[in-house]
Amino acid sequence: MGFFDTLLMPFTWAVSWLLSKFHQLLTLFSDDAEWAASGWNWALSIVMLVIVIRVILIPLFVRQIKSQRGMQIIQPEIQKLQAKYKGKKDPVSRQAMAQEQQALFRKHKVNPFMTCLPLLAQMPVFIALFWMLNRMRQEQYRTDGYGALSPAEVQSFDASSIFGVGTSDSFLPSFQADPTRWDVVLLTSLMIITMVLTQFFTQKQLMSKNMSESALQGQFAQTQKIMLYMLPLVFVIGGVNFPVGVLIYWTATNFWTMGQQWWVIRNNPTPGSQAEKELNLRRAAKGLTPINEKPQAAEEQREKPTGKHLGQGAQPSKKKRKKS
Amino acid sequence: MRTGASGSEPDGETAVQVWIRHADYYVPDGATPGRPGPPPTTEELRRQRWGRIRRTPSALLAGLIIAYRTVISPLYGQVCSYYPSCSAYGLEAVSVHGVLRGVPLTVWRILRCNPFGSGGVDHVPPARRIWPQGSAPSIIETNHPPIPPDDDCAPAEHDQ
Repeated sequence: MGFFDTLLMPFTWAVSWLLSKFHQLLTLFSDDAEWAASGWNWALSIVMLVIVIRVILIPLFVRQIKSQRGMQIIQPEIQKLQAKYKGKKDPVSRQAMAQEQQALFRKHKVNPFMTCLPLLAQMPVFIALFWMLNRMRQEQYRTDGYGALSPAEVQSFDASSIFGVGTSDSFLPSFQADPTRWDVVLLTSLMIITMVLTQFFTQKQLMSKNMSESALQGQFAQTQKIMLYMLPLVFVIGGVNFPVGVLIYWTATNFWTMGQQWWVIRNNPTPGSQAEKELNLRRAAKGLTPINEKPQAAEEQREKPTGKHLGQGAQPSKKKRKKS
Repeated sequence: MRTGASGSEPDGETAVQVWIRHADYYVPDGATPGRPGPPPTTEELRRQRWGRIRRTPSALLAGLIIAYRTVISPLYGQVCSYYPSCSAYGLEAVSVHGVLRGVPLTVWRILRCNPFGSGGVDHVPPARRIWPQGSAPSIIETNHPPIPPDDDCAPAEHDQ
């Protein structure tokens, strides 16, 4: 056991335990012995692992959505702040702007780093799965077992295959192998393309439907655009190195994200977005009142009394009046 | 040290010297931070002198943080979820509170600076240290910039 094994131990153990349990369950329900021995049960176990992980991550996703919403809602205020400090490039003003911006984030409970948290939180699982699949090819673990997997399970997992492609095979080595393993190349390429497409679609849908008009301009939209083109690139670079088992995980998790996003956009769209208009049209067709009517009215009322704090600052400003 | 000799009548010599308290930098938005308050009491003047044992580790650590801020920090860009950033916070904390109080404050801040935290403006708690005007560490001024008042009031002016 190397240093990395020890470091990843909690994750590999949890992942392998879940996989082992799911596989036992699936084997129990498999009437056909041939099916039970095939890689499909393992592939399905990985999909079930995705479901468990993503269900656990739902609260995190809710926080992410809230943070994103807040980020979009405060865009007008951010733009106001940028206008206030426009042309002031000296360090003192930049510091002052940074301070005001952080105060704004805090006020609206926005954390810019919340956006990529669900992705980051899955990283240990990705890595554990990747590590485990590599370890299973080694002779030592076929007799010792790995994590919560028994030796028999390790052997079964390592030997498992879908469409004749092993769960531990990956694109690059198969492509470089002397007789190129076209079956592996084809399957992994298909999966990578699926991953890229689902990611692209998810992001595109978010941008075209679920962003308010003010959020579509400015820096936030720019970041989203970078995500739109950068993440597929990451998937391609990562994908060619990852074994089929990890690709199954990644593709399944992307499908989950897509479905989750679709549901949110349909039922709980961002105020002021295209999706909200569509939802209100659907509601109107059913004879229901449009959503978000009341909160907006309340917001307008809340904004009015802010003129109050003229109290202390008003005195010195009177001198300026002579000019205008 | 020499003030001890003229202890009965310190005003004649020290009245010229203006002192800045760390707390003078904590002002509401729109006000100018770092304006000297009332002249310090003898107790505050006594506190101001940090002995070598207190000064040296603080200066060493501050030097390390400054090196980090000039060499390594720019590589990352803005990644902290707080204002001031963790390194700016640490530098101020160590400079105004000393190592014994500054280091735990900084460690606690770094632990709080994670995606689950709420972020926002989080200044170093005010210290009791005072400096002769102009010789306070520059990080304090960096971390406490004057916040200009909002322009919201401007249209009201034109209406009149």
